[in-house]
Amino acid sequence: MNLSHKMSKSIILTAIIALFAVHISYSQKVVRYHLYVKDTLVNFTGKEKRAIAVNGQIPMPTLTFTEGDTAEIYVHNEMKEKTSLHWHGVFLPNQEDGVPYLTQMPIEPGETYIYRFPIIQHGTHWYHSHSGLQEQLGMYGSMILNKRTNDPTFRKGIDDLPTVPVVLSEWTDYNPHNVERMLHNASDWFAIKKGATQSYGEAIKAGHFKTKVKNEWKRMLAMDVSDVYYDRFLMNGKNQSTLSQFKAGDKVRLRISNGGASTNFWLTYAGGKITVVANDGNDVEPVEVDRLLIAVSETYDVIVSIPGENTAYEFLATPEDRTKSASLYVGSGIKQLISPLPRLKYFEGMKMMNGMMKMNGDLDDMGMNMSLNQMDMNIVMYPEITGSETKDENKNSKMEGMDMESKAGKNEHAEHSGDQYNSNKLSNIVTLNYAMLKSPTETGLPKDAPVKELRFELTGNMNRYVWSLDNKVVSEADKIMIKKGENVRIIMFNNSMMRHPMHLHGHDFRLINGKGEYAPLKNIVDIMPMETDTLEFNANVYGDWFFHCHILYHMMSGMGRVISYEGQPKNPLIKNPRYAQRKLFSDDRHFHVMAENDFATNGNDGMLMIQNTRWSIGSEWRLGYNDMHGYETETHIGRYFGKMQWLMVFAGFDWRYRKEGIDEQEQNVFGQRNTKDDRALASLGFVYKLPMLIDFQTEVFHNGTFRLQLMREDIPVTKRIRMGFMVNSDIEYMVEARYILNRYIGLRTHYDSDMGFGMGISANY
Amino acid sequence: MAASMLLSFQSFSAQVDNSKTSTVKIYGNCGMCESAIEKAGNVKKVAAVEWNKDSKIATLTYDSVKTNQNEILRRIALAGYDSEHFFAPDEAYAKLPACCHYERAKASAHKDEAMASLKADKPEAGMHDHSAMTSQDKNQLKAVYDGYFSLKDALVKSDGSAASVIAKDLLAAINAVKMETLKPEEHTVWMKVKEDVTTDAEHITETKEVSHQRDHFTTLSKNMYQLIKVSKNDAPVYYQHCPMYNDGKGADWLSKESAIKNPYYGSQMLSCGKTVETIK
Ligand SMILES: [Cu+2]
Ligand SMILES: [Cu+2]
Repeated sequence: MNLSHKMSKSIILTAIIALFAVHISYSQKVVRYHLYVKDTLVNFTGKEKRAIAVNGQIPMPTLTFTEGDTAEIYVHNEMKEKTSLHWHGVFLPNQEDGVPYLTQMPIEPGETYIYRFPIIQHGTHWYHSHSGLQEQLGMYGSMILNKRTNDPTFRKGIDDLPTVPVVLSEWTDYNPHNVERMLHNASDWFAIKKGATQSYGEAIKAGHFKTKVKNEWKRMLAMDVSDVYYDRFLMNGKNQSTLSQFKAGDKVRLRISNGGASTNFWLTYAGGKITVVANDGNDVEPVEVDRLLIAVSETYDVIVSIPGENTAYEFLATPEDRTKSASLYVGSGIKQLISPLPRLKYFEGMKMMNGMMKMNGDLDDMGMNMSLNQMDMNIVMYPEITGSETKDENKNSKMEGMDMESKAGKNEHAEHSGDQYNSNKLSNIVTLNYAMLKSPTETGLPKDAPVKELRFELTGNMNRYVWSLDNKVVSEADKIMIKKGENVRIIMFNNSMMRHPMHLHGHDFRLINGKGEYAPLKNIVDIMPMETDTLEFNANVYGDWFFHCHILYHMMSGMGRVISYEGQPKNPLIKNPRYAQRKLFSDDRHFHVMAENDFATNGNDGMLMIQNTRWSIGSEWRLGYNDMHGYETETHIGRYFGKMQWLMVFAGFDWRYRKEGIDEQEQNVFGQRNTKDDRALASLGFVYKLPMLIDFQTEVFHNGTFRLQLMREDIPVTKRIRMGFMVNSDIEYMVEARYILNRYIGLRTHYDSDMGFGMGISANY
Repeated sequence: MAASMLLSFQSFSAQVDNSKTSTVKIYGNCGMCESAIEKAGNVKKVAAVEWNKDSKIATLTYDSVKTNQNEILRRIALAGYDSEHFFAPDEAYAKLPACCHYERAKASAHKDEAMASLKADKPEAGMHDHSAMTSQDKNQLKAVYDGYFSLKDALVKSDGSAASVIAKDLLAAINAVKMETLKPEEHTVWMKVKEDVTTDAEHITETKEVSHQRDHFTTLSKNMYQLIKVSKNDAPVYYQHCPMYNDGKGADWLSKESAIKNPYYGSQMLSCGKTVETIK
């Protein structure tokens, strides 16, 4: 009696619970968020700096939905500038995608804008501003789309674990616009801050003088694995934080998004192996690793466990350049640290790049067919894989190495090509790569659909910081047209020296990685130099979808394309398509300013230049303090050609005035008369960058005289000393040396054939 | 004495703005530890650490605007020294000079927990408990082999100082072997090789120069090979050969993995060589 009573009670209870659950999961539940976007001041480093906070916080609040919900997100723009929000990796109607001037007009200051879309997938995603450089200032946050509990793909032991969303990011005290400008000006200030100048002095000390010469012979500037120096690295907005709610024996699922603007992070854990269970919001078969690299804008779901009592284990995120790190301690008690990743062996990297780089600027993979991050050329720089760079080791192995080459020649040892870059074969450390990702379900595309194949070469150069696809930036290329229903296959080859996380909006693609029907679904693929990757997707949703490198400063310089569907309906939010397109293109057409002046004992020496992807307009001046030293200016308007941009063709104008100068050279080496004392001449010419980074300039003036000139600036002698020289056919010459004091100021001394010896303070912007 | 301490203390706090002082326990042994701890903790004008090797108490004086106690202790832990709040990474501890190998608070507690969690994970572990005990008795050479394999890994990384530290452990393991409990075949070989392996291990401990260590590693490996051939192993061991070493005379080593990671050349020729025998 009693028993049956209890039973009936529990049956009723279960029924109610079931009913309730059904109600939640199948009703059109609208989940609403209000986001207030506001300028704010933050203090990450001891200095107050401008940032952007949403609802008063950085990162932006975590948005949580369950598959089947409808998202309704109110964005209140309380800033003085326009903004937008992009839902990264989320399937939605094109109008809700959040790319200003492409899928919508920007959200004006004071405006409240509503994004509304059904949630038709699950997984770890994130969201960020797609306007200008706002992402760098704090506009990134987690977006968690939960599985319904009755989802057939629900995984016991994985999907029921406690989860913690984690957004990785970085902070710089510099204004991001200044960062962008410095990158385009090839400033080496970031390298100085990182200790990665790789100067001749350092090269000699490390026994790598030849390597450095060869590097400059091939016209390369010192390379680094990342471009920007950051002051802080953050996990959920903090450099150090603890998840003290967990205890020994617990397993925790971290839903990690890389919201960094330009930083790839290594993830390592002090409490044992890391189990990867999802990538870019899509489940993968669990795989145990010691570490993984999360590229800019990727997401990974990982499970970590807490092995010991009263201990919090360090989950460490280390930027690829290994300058600093951020830590999250999982558990409560004494913090068990993990070894930091050792410093990169830069000169080993330089040597490797020398080997790969052909004289014409193309990369040569030496027949290794690299793909999917399986072979990582950078491991030559990783002491934990390829050994530390101790002095005796160098000596011994160098001698032995030579021996070997001469004796063994090309026998078995020469054939290791490829494997010598396979990190998992070389060490006990298991590093995740894309070939290890396998979808738990079949991901094959419709079999009978027509196939459209697109090929892209990722191109660019570091000297002028231009990044492109097939040497064309967004504003120089047409939209890529595809047809609804097609299977689109994209094959990309990275022929540039940096890695690029390429991101497709609105679709997941299959990354062809040897897993056949179980190829993983992703929306970002990080491609290392010399790699070729193939991805494919079924074209199933109309719209103008951005396809771009997700490194913020690469994207802003134009590394992307718009993929668009034939015969699609017009986007009602874009009322004036031509205006919108012009605004979209203005990102990479934008001119960057650069200026320098040396206030010296013998005069002022300086220049002002504005430049963009292809054009450069600049004036140089040398102004003495009296008529005898003279005054002169040269102005050039030029256009760069070629992928490496070694050639610039220009039109110029020279003006100079001098009275009885100290250098009475009135004839050039060709015997042509050459007034220096009073002249105003127009010219045509070109500059070509020679090996050793020497600028060779030829210029013909309207009066028939011509001038040849060789110049090299910024020879890195030590970490902070730069030298330069110039000599030309007017028998003018100059040598200089500069000591860099800080970002804007240096001490300069020079000897100039016109103005003699001078010393001064040089300022640059 | 007291006056000089006071003086030095004052001079420290005078250099640090917004100065805040706290005391905390940091584990360590000797004068070398003291300088290592203080060096790791100090940051000019921001943080000053004074550690007392008798009391193990450190006095931290720091600029509370620019840093905090945890940042300082984190740096010290990364240098190899445990404290109340941080455990050093095991590798950092292992790299400390022998005299600095202080007794770790976590070592014992930790291992027990690891064992406990292992048991909790695998319900059947209880049944194997007994057999595990006996097999430990039976295979007391295992510690020697483990030492050898760690030494090999250190040489693969061309890490002379780690190799030197590990060789010390290996030496201890060799000395701990109770000959009388070895199986007859093992006993015979052990008698033959013991003196040589001891000498090689000693030499490797005494230097940090990788090339010298590698010389001794060639003979050490030969003897280990003889020994491991007569031992029973739970997992296969690979006998591998590099034809290049020592002017083409070649050298051998043992590895637990079939993949080649050459301990004689490190990064230069990591995958040079081949497996010549698989010992089961
Ligand atoms: Cu994105
Ligand atoms: Cu890029």
